Amino acid sequence: MSTGANFQPKIVVFACENSGWLAAGHAAELSLSYPEKVNLIKLPCSGKIDVLYFMKALEKADGTMILACQKENCKFLQGNIRAAQRVIQTRHTLKEIGIEEDRVGIFYLAANMGHKFAEVVQNFYDKIRELGPNPGKVIK
Amino acid sequence: MIIAERKPIDEILGFLVKYRKVLVLGCGGCVTVCLAGGEKEAGILGSQLAMASRKEGRPLEVVQKTVERQCDFEYLAGIRHLVKEVDAVLSLACGIGIQTCNEAFRDKMTWPGVNTRFLGVNLNVGEWAERCQACGQCVLDRTGGICPVARCSKSIFNGPCGGSQGGKCEVSPDTDCAWALIYDRLTQLGEVDSLRDIMGIKDWSHSRDGGPRKLVREDLELESGK
Repeated sequence: MSTGANFQPKIVVFACENSGWLAAGHAAELSLSYPEKVNLIKLPCSGKIDVLYFMKALEKADGTMILACQKENCKFLQGNIRAAQRVIQTRHTLKEIGIEEDRVGIFYLAANMGHKFAEVVQNFYDKIRELGPNPGKVIK
Repeated sequence: MIIAERKPIDEILGFLVKYRKVLVLGCGGCVTVCLAGGEKEAGILGSQLAMASRKEGRPLEVVQKTVERQCDFEYLAGIRHLVKEVDAVLSLACGIGIQTCNEAFRDKMTWPGVNTRFLGVNLNVGEWAERCQACGQCVLDRTGGICPVARCSKSIFNGPCGGSQGGKCEVSPDTDCAWALIYDRLTQLGEVDSLRDIMGIKDWSHSRDGGPRKLVREDLELESGK
């Protein structure tokens, strides 16, 4: 297990294809960099996210998050609201087994926010780095 | 449907502390609909168990599987090979499925992952209410389709009792008085006068009073040659 200064967390980022995913593309167009060990997974809507997806991600990652459309701007009306609820449910699920709730998060952005994407991912990466390796990680 | 609720995680972890490999077995029946023990819940619990045990330094290998129904031996026969490879089974089915697993897999313990609560209806996401107690002799024909056995706190047949106030039961302000509901319903249907009929004494021998119940329908028998 990587620890200390050399620790490079693995992060799984679920991204709504109408916002977070496009923002990632925008960040790439702008040649903005973000940490290497970040896996991006496209979802048709942030409302597709589920506690199960987060938990399966955390079996092999140190942190996971969902990038959703800005509030009141979901193409499917309530997807981002449901995503936020599932983040709360996942945090509760992690708390039950004594794993830091901050290993899961939700961030809202728009398709043209490449800079915001890079900033959000970097900040989350730094936060997970501070938390250290996920003690429950099953797949190293 | 049968309404169940997952047991507290610490209780489940306590069951499994002595094992190295377990099968978390979901059920595609009622517990899937009431979000307690279907494929998704088996997956989430499987992750929780794997992560919690890893965190405690006693890695537990978790195999996950969901069958169509755990209350039918036919569906359990198809996973015998999986059960053979694990130390124990954690069933997320209702009490019926858990017992069926224990009957089907004699050499392995099947632990309960849920508490079976009642027979009920889904009122909203995450909200269920009791509607039936399986008393074995339905009286809904005489009570406007509202069950006094399951929905009256006293299961009385000549309500409402003195504890009914403003349509609510004295047991809880959140509980509707079943007999107020029955009266309102029969009034709505124009049949409130039917309440004047004397109901015969209910035969409770069809309920739990006769011990564990069994139903045999010989007309469905296919293989006895009768």
